[in-house]
Amino acid sequence: MYCVRTVTDNLYWVGANDHRTHLFENIHPIPRGVSYNSYLLMDESTVLFDTVDWSVCRQLMENLDYLLGDRPLDYLVINHMEPDHGASIEEILIRWPNVKIISTAKAFMLMRQFGFTVDNQELIEVKEGDTYSFGEHTVTFIAAPMVHWPEAMVTFDLTNGVLFSADAFGSFIALDGKLFADEVNFDRDWIDEARRYLTNIVGKYGPQVQVLLKKAAGILDKIKFICPLHGPVWRENLLYFVDKYDKWSKYQPEEQGVMIAYASMYGNTESAAQALAAKLCEKGMTNVWVYDVSNTHVSQLVSEAFRLSHLVFASVTYNLGIYPVMHDFLMHLKALNFQNRTCAIIENGSWAVKSGDLMQKFLEDEMKNMTVLGDRLSLASALHPDKASELDALADSIIESMAKE
Amino acid sequence: MLFQTTQAHEELRAKIRAFAESEVKPNAILMDQESKFPAEAVKKLAEMGFMGIPYPKEYGGAGLDVMSYAIAVEELSRVDGGTGVILSAHVSLGTWPIFAFGTEEQKQKYLVPLAKGEKIGAFGLTEPNAGSDAGGTETTAIDKGDHWLLNGQKIFITNGGVADTYVVFAVTTPDIGTRGISAFIVEKGWKGFTFEPHYDKMGIRSSETCQLNFDDVKVPKENLLGKEGQGFKIAMATLDGGRIGIASQALGIAQGAYESAVEYAKERVQFGKPIGFNQAITFKLADMATKLKCARMLVYSAAEKKEAHEPYSVDAAMAKLYASEIALEVTNDAVQIFGGTGFLKGMDVERMYRDAKITTIYEGTSEVQRMVIGASIMGKPPKSAGGSSSVAKKPAPITGVRKGMILKEGGAKERVDALVAALKKDGYDFSVGIPIDTPIAQAERVVSAGQGIGSKENMKLIEDLAKAAGAAIGSSRPVAETHKFVPLNRYVGMSGQKFKGNLYIACGISGAVQHLKGIKDASTIVAINKSSNAPIFKNCDYGIVGDVNEILPLLAEALGMEEKQPAPPMVKMKRPPAPKPEPIGKRYVCMGCGYEYVPELGDPDGDVAPGTLFEKLPEGWACPECAETRDKFIEA
Repeated sequence: MYCVRTVTDNLYWVGANDHRTHLFENIHPIPRGVSYNSYLLMDESTVLFDTVDWSVCRQLMENLDYLLGDRPLDYLVINHMEPDHGASIEEILIRWPNVKIISTAKAFMLMRQFGFTVDNQELIEVKEGDTYSFGEHTVTFIAAPMVHWPEAMVTFDLTNGVLFSADAFGSFIALDGKLFADEVNFDRDWIDEARRYLTNIVGKYGPQVQVLLKKAAGILDKIKFICPLHGPVWRENLLYFVDKYDKWSKYQPEEQGVMIAYASMYGNTESAAQALAAKLCEKGMTNVWVYDVSNTHVSQLVSEAFRLSHLVFASVTYNLGIYPVMHDFLMHLKALNFQNRTCAIIENGSWAVKSGDLMQKFLEDEMKNMTVLGDRLSLASALHPDKASELDALADSIIESMAKE
Repeated sequence: MLFQTTQAHEELRAKIRAFAESEVKPNAILMDQESKFPAEAVKKLAEMGFMGIPYPKEYGGAGLDVMSYAIAVEELSRVDGGTGVILSAHVSLGTWPIFAFGTEEQKQKYLVPLAKGEKIGAFGLTEPNAGSDAGGTETTAIDKGDHWLLNGQKIFITNGGVADTYVVFAVTTPDIGTRGISAFIVEKGWKGFTFEPHYDKMGIRSSETCQLNFDDVKVPKENLLGKEGQGFKIAMATLDGGRIGIASQALGIAQGAYESAVEYAKERVQFGKPIGFNQAITFKLADMATKLKCARMLVYSAAEKKEAHEPYSVDAAMAKLYASEIALEVTNDAVQIFGGTGFLKGMDVERMYRDAKITTIYEGTSEVQRMVIGASIMGKPPKSAGGSSSVAKKPAPITGVRKGMILKEGGAKERVDALVAALKKDGYDFSVGIPIDTPIAQAERVVSAGQGIGSKENMKLIEDLAKAAGAAIGSSRPVAETHKFVPLNRYVGMSGQKFKGNLYIACGISGAVQHLKGIKDASTIVAINKSSNAPIFKNCDYGIVGDVNEILPLLAEALGMEEKQPAPPMVKMKRPPAPKPEPIGKRYVCMGCGYEYVPELGDPDGDVAPGTLFEKLPEGWACPECAETRDKFIEA
């Protein structure tokens, strides 16, 4: 059965929802699913903006058949060639052999690399600032390299103010009937997954997102709709989401608060983490979030790190090193170019305490602009009341560092 | 091509030889015995215009060529190697960098008197951790706006102390290796610029060699030589020329020894005829003469190339390598020909034998010359995991990053008061204290005595200070083990008791590695020692350079001699975070793949040295990951 929704006059959402994929990019869990968005413009010519993942290709075909009726598909605009959007290109070409493809030079290169036989088609290579008319609608193309792939562009419809934003402004979670951000309680039900999507997928490319945001700022008053490739379409309160993107891409926290990530084998490091959390709350800092790195997916840890201003890394020593799962978390943060946070360290070890020094070295030498507070709490196997004053000092030090910001 | 010197050269040689024979040679034995600088002879050399042979007449020089200079060094060295190197160090090392890299003002002010010989020049590059590898330079010059603040030491400096003008190399940008080194012109007599006593050397004893100390020496802005960061280039270019000087010196020493040997071989009769007719000796002389001829050709050829502005670096290295190595062989053979007589003090050949040795060592050892020559054959070696030596490896203090605040302002009382104020500001409460016999491992504070404390009576000073500071008493190992001033269980160190408390006051402790390892967990380390070069000062938070006899009573008084209240349970004071090094330049990211260019790392695969700013990347440089061009990068 076809399943489409109207975005605005002559523009339709023709994408699909996916609840069966467990791991997005085969790495990030998506328990609430994801949507692959594709948009069809019915102008004098018919234009499809991006395709969908191969797993939902048949849904796209049903949607197109329903809306196109007897008309052919004239144009295919590819903003982003990653296979969760580009995989259905081949099927489009088989069904509409005369379709013209509009995309960037690098995207055409990637199509060939992925094995799509595009060279029988008319290929229209565009670059920043080019315009193209489909009849009533004229679009312009804006390069968005490394957000988060090199070939990416976004397309702006000058006629109706629709911005086809590729992966920018996307989110996890299947749409399940809703289409617009204002049809859901985004700030309650969606923001965490939107953050987890952006920070894990595009987190590394903050400077490139900033370049794109600056380009968008120039036409912000003309943007009426933002149509991303995942998640809901934005037509109201655009600045709410733009502001979030600005913070994430500048590696600025959204909130003053403390994330305590602990790695504990038998609960002793956990106990210290809990004691610190209680101490912080007792002192009035209640925006405290405690996570066990062993049973929290790293994508969620990353997302929370982006959200909060202060991080506490509490790790047991394991094989004279950092506990592997904690180490993995740190490696993810580094890979995502994560920076500008104040950190504290709790270390534990029963015969040789190494994790603190190693984590500190990692934070200071491998990452950017990470301030490690000097008040490290060091445990030999377990935290005992004789270190109450040190725990207190650590909590004070965290709160004091907040006051300075 | 006749391979012959010109008549002018030979006339010059005759003139200098005459001078050397009459003015230097008669005193050579005495100067060697007494390590005496030939001040009179140097003055006369200046009057004769020989101190500025290769420099233009308009700058006070003689306007002669490099070969003339080489001949002058050779002829002086022929009678006394020490006098030869005085001229070589003055002309090649002390004067040349100003001639080649100085501004017109610097040339007028410094080059002219140097070339005229009114002033003597020297060159300060070598340090305890930087000889062949200049990347290890630790002397620093900090930009203070209107001047540079110079701190550090230079060792083995020829003409040190007697020279008036010094070209000194110091780090102006830390952590980027040789690119962070700059050259400065420093004058004798400036505040904070001092000399250690001269070394007692094996040879060339008539030349003076000493250590230079720079302690907060203010160098005027205009005394930066060349551009900032050009120091290494200046040093290397200078040493290229210096090698011709040392090669000439080696040649001269060998020539002198050879001539003495020939003369002796003609005089000394054994088996009824002069020993020189004994084939064993004849052949030795033949070999000596051949080696000398080879060396002379190499030296003169390098000098001619330099004069003609041809690349001469490898030629100078070959000349220096060969001439110095054959100088050892020739002087050795000369002593052999002299037999037992040559082994006696007072014989020329005995002195020359000792003088020759330094020529294979200074201004680039034979090993370094072979590196230079070898590199010209083989090119750059393939990259090794060991990394480039042009990146300074920071010798981290054993006790970790410390404040390193050495109190210098004012008299002893003011410095002590400043120390106490700083400690109180850090949170130390001196109205409370612990018993002086608290075990070291449990002590919150320790006052520790080192050998610098002097005699046993002075332990009273330690005891008083410990009481005033509310601290237990500790010591260095020798104080407990050798001198037995305190029981063995009170010595602090890796092998003794480890101090993990807050405040450690080291009195007269120089800072042996094992001692420093025992206090690395201390929150605050205070050092009191009379030697400013003691390693403890590189490992302390606060330091006072001074005599314990003076400082300790003042400190005890400032802390308060009253009875202390019992201290509450110890709260370990945390160390402040180490300051982060400032980035040397902006990072840029590639819009084709996200690769980030970090100037501190450079691009090893693209042969871009660490420390290269993005703006300074070579033309045609492209992203090492995806080959995008440089204009496709944005600021990170």
